[in-house]
Amino acid sequence: MSVPDLKPMGVNWVGLGTIVRRDVQRMLRVPIQVFIAPWSSALLFIFVFGYVLGGTMRTIGGHKYIEFVMPGVLMMNIITAAFLQSSSAIYFSRFMRFVEEMLVAPLSYLEMVVGSLTTVVVRATVTGLGILILGLGFCATTIESWPLFVFWIVAVSIIFGLAGILVGLWSKSFEQLNMPVVFFLTPLSMLGGSFFTMKMLPDWLHWMLWANPFFYFINGIRGAMIGVDEAPQGLSIALTLLMIAALGGLVWRLFSRGYGLRE
Amino acid sequence: MATPALKVTNLRKVYRRGNVAVEDLSLTVEEGDFFGFLGPNGAGKSTTIHCVTGIANPTSGTIEIFGLDAVKNYREARRLVGLCPQEFNVDPFAKPADIVSWAGGYFGMGAAELKSRVNYLMEQFELTPHLKKTFRELSGGLKRRVVLARALVHDPKLIILDEPTAGVDVELRRVLWNYLTEINQDGRTILLTSHYLEEVERLCRDIAIVARGRIVRQGTKDEMAGTPGSLEHAYLVATGAEADHVAGQ
Ligand SMILES: Nc1ncnc2c1ncn2[C@@H]1O[C@H](COP(=O)(O)OP(=O)(O)O)[C@@H](O)[C@H]1O
Ligand SMILES: [Mg+2]
Repeated sequence: MSVPDLKPMGVNWVGLGTIVRRDVQRMLRVPIQVFIAPWSSALLFIFVFGYVLGGTMRTIGGHKYIEFVMPGVLMMNIITAAFLQSSSAIYFSRFMRFVEEMLVAPLSYLEMVVGSLTTVVVRATVTGLGILILGLGFCATTIESWPLFVFWIVAVSIIFGLAGILVGLWSKSFEQLNMPVVFFLTPLSMLGGSFFTMKMLPDWLHWMLWANPFFYFINGIRGAMIGVDEAPQGLSIALTLLMIAALGGLVWRLFSRGYGLRE
Repeated sequence: MATPALKVTNLRKVYRRGNVAVEDLSLTVEEGDFFGFLGPNGAGKSTTIHCVTGIANPTSGTIEIFGLDAVKNYREARRLVGLCPQEFNVDPFAKPADIVSWAGGYFGMGAAELKSRVNYLMEQFELTPHLKKTFRELSGGLKRRVVLARALVHDPKLIILDEPTAGVDVELRRVLWNYLTEINQDGRTILLTSHYLEEVERLCRDIAIVARGRIVRQGTKDEMAGTPGSLEHAYLVATGAEADHVAGQ
């Protein structure tokens, strides 16, 4: 016997499934950080803006202020969850070098990326559904369109899952890993209309929303939840798909060079 | 002639920032061999192994595993190789059975087969009493057992062990020697690096000595270690002579 009789391998589905199984198991080691933190922050928003301040706040387009804010709260939590999931999973596996377990196996880069993103979408969906259920339960939100709601959760979590992969590959320290949250994620979602409408801004500041990608995500999910949107859904969806394509292409290029993974 | 288990031809590996770890290395390991890969620290053994197993990209040269190109046909090639790395590359918060089971999953093993294989390996390496502990809670010897079990999970035809007995106690060393001898007799090809020359004399059939990223001596164990202590002599001459040669330039 010389060359072993091996059938050429197609997609390594078992391997892909194992990446997801491992990531989900690892995620469930820290359930408080992963699920309880975003749900409790949503509850606090409902309590403060819905109950305590509810009577004193003005309505926006016929909606209570809390109804207007909930989609923003939900989107901010999904963005953070998606980003932290992939960036910390990749960074930690590089830092402790157990990414090598995948490098020595018959896994393609595409399978690694898809596996990583699947967990991201699972985490974001569970996070988002939890917040939605809390919102519905306390009459703090509604749902206009399920398909759009699902689209926005999945699309936005893929975008930030991809961004997290980039940062996880690039980071050389835990400090660098946290930089994007501080300098991009938090400010851009606060300035992207989570808590205000374009009309509340003076005309000369409207560009600040149009130029902020987060505005389209927040606006999109707000349309799906309470039917209020300031930008056409079609435009938001098109821009979002473009961003997925651009980030996906970038991640693909880096992976196919082994950037940050293979010496 | 039969296809070799491993054929490395003119391998060169330059790390970023221009660090040349492997200069020009060629090596053939026949199927069924127990091959000793020796050399001083920093000679390029681990780097060679990393290029063979897919942890590092070779700068140039070719690597064939049972005739399959390790870069172009990486999927088929990697299925045939199991690696026990020199340094622990393990998720510290994972438990032994998960670590081994995930690795098997990456290799595409189905659930039922994987379960019985993991159980077998946990028994074989006496890890069963420690299944509830996370990797970081295990002692050094137990950690080594987990990494060995992980390397063997998909029953690879070529097993590469990078200093598997460094810092392990006498008992594990014996368990390991017996197990490796057994699976080698079953037809598995083994490539072993070690700084314990008596271990190499005891186990290996063929030996290559590497220094500064090149093979400086190659032959059968019997040629190099015909009499007691002669492997050590051969090793010192091969690696030391090279140093004198360099110093004399
Ligand atoms: N990841 C790396 N980046 C840069 N240089 C490295 C890396 N790994 C090893 N080296 C260098 O390559 C050389 C060979 O190292 P190595 O292959 O680990 O030798 P050995 O396993 O024979 O002790 C050494 O000079 C080492 O410092
Ligand atoms: Mg080494």
